[in-house]
Amino acid sequence: MEFKDYYKILGVPPDADTKAIKTAYRKLARKYHPDMNPDAGAEDKFKEVAEAYEVLKDAGRRAEYDELRQYGGASRAGSGFEPPPGWQSSSGFSRAGGGHFEGDFSDFFNSIFGGAGGEHRSQRSGLRGQDAEIEMPIFLEETVSETSKLVEYLIPVFENGQLREVKKSLKVKIPPGVQDGERIRLKGQGGPGQGAADSGDLYLHIRLVPHPLFDVEGHNLVVTVPLAPWEAALGAKVTVPTLSGKINLTIAPNSQAGQRLRIKGKGLSTKTGRGDLFALLKVVMPPSANSKVTALWQSLSEEADFDPRAQWGNEG
Amino acid sequence: MTELVFSISLHELCQCEEFTEQVIVEVVDHGIAQPVAGHDVADWVFDTTSVHWLRKAVRLHSDLEIDWVAVAMVIDLLRKNEALEKQNRHFEQQLRRFRES
Repeated sequence: MEFKDYYKILGVPPDADTKAIKTAYRKLARKYHPDMNPDAGAEDKFKEVAEAYEVLKDAGRRAEYDELRQYGGASRAGSGFEPPPGWQSSSGFSRAGGGHFEGDFSDFFNSIFGGAGGEHRSQRSGLRGQDAEIEMPIFLEETVSETSKLVEYLIPVFENGQLREVKKSLKVKIPPGVQDGERIRLKGQGGPGQGAADSGDLYLHIRLVPHPLFDVEGHNLVVTVPLAPWEAALGAKVTVPTLSGKINLTIAPNSQAGQRLRIKGKGLSTKTGRGDLFALLKVVMPPSANSKVTALWQSLSEEADFDPRAQWGNEG
Repeated sequence: MTELVFSISLHELCQCEEFTEQVIVEVVDHGIAQPVAGHDVADWVFDTTSVHWLRKAVRLHSDLEIDWVAVAMVIDLLRKNEALEKQNRHFEQQLRRFRES
């Protein structure tokens, strides 16, 4: 086990006063708190900082830690550390609700302050099991059909004072009208409770998988429909994909790029019905033209009285 | 098949290690989460998505040693940021569809 230099972790000298320790902690906590900093590694860094603060902010624990540091811990940093034989903390540790993340303190901390993790849990036996949360990717097609999905996840289980992860699997029916980012609760499917206490819950964090054709706007869908310039000008009948089969859509003459046509009831499911599908028109130029087509464009340019940059005024 | 639930009662929330009734009342008082049903505190029901924000609020309050007003501001900004990121992803995707031929 490695000796942890809590002063170094907080970036304060060993004779720092409580105020300096508090200031250093708050600064680092703001920087690395996983709720504020999504970077990989931020959570581990935060846990380290929180552990250092937990020890150094308490005069009793700090004195014990300083004693161990004197005992040779600091000089042997990185080369393995064992508390002196018969070591027993007198300040102990019990965490008062809220804060931090589960399973947070290091073996080093536990070896000095009496295994806060295990003891803490056993002290509070009869406690409800932990909640678990997993990401649940869902394809758009699955939200409009009555499908069930197999969900597999790991839950932490305490057995004989040992923490281990157990794999669980469940069949979940996708409820109609689920939205991206929503969290669904599955009662009693989290970690087991201790003694007669209830199990925790499982939360499914719904993520709608980006679709190659459709974009999601609330309960509505948007499909981008490419049109040839003459289709936009003359009107056309085009086949448009929906989540459930294809439909025919009439494009009116003189349609504009960026225009949205509403197709009622072909969006995502809602609790009461279906949202709409919007066809977003996009005009696409043909890649190249032969001489005959070029001549046609030429005569069109001579015939059509159209300045697309009229709104620029004289500067255009 | 497992029962899916979209809500959680105050009583159920208080069984979680990090929540007490007092903490939840503070969080509601500061507008961080709102019950979707229940007039009296004991009858409060929350939607399941707000549990995520309740947890964040309690962690920030305790870990950063900041008061509930500051927690409310942070949560508000985090929520706005999340909504803007989502909107940005949506616009980027639409722009990509418009650009590619």
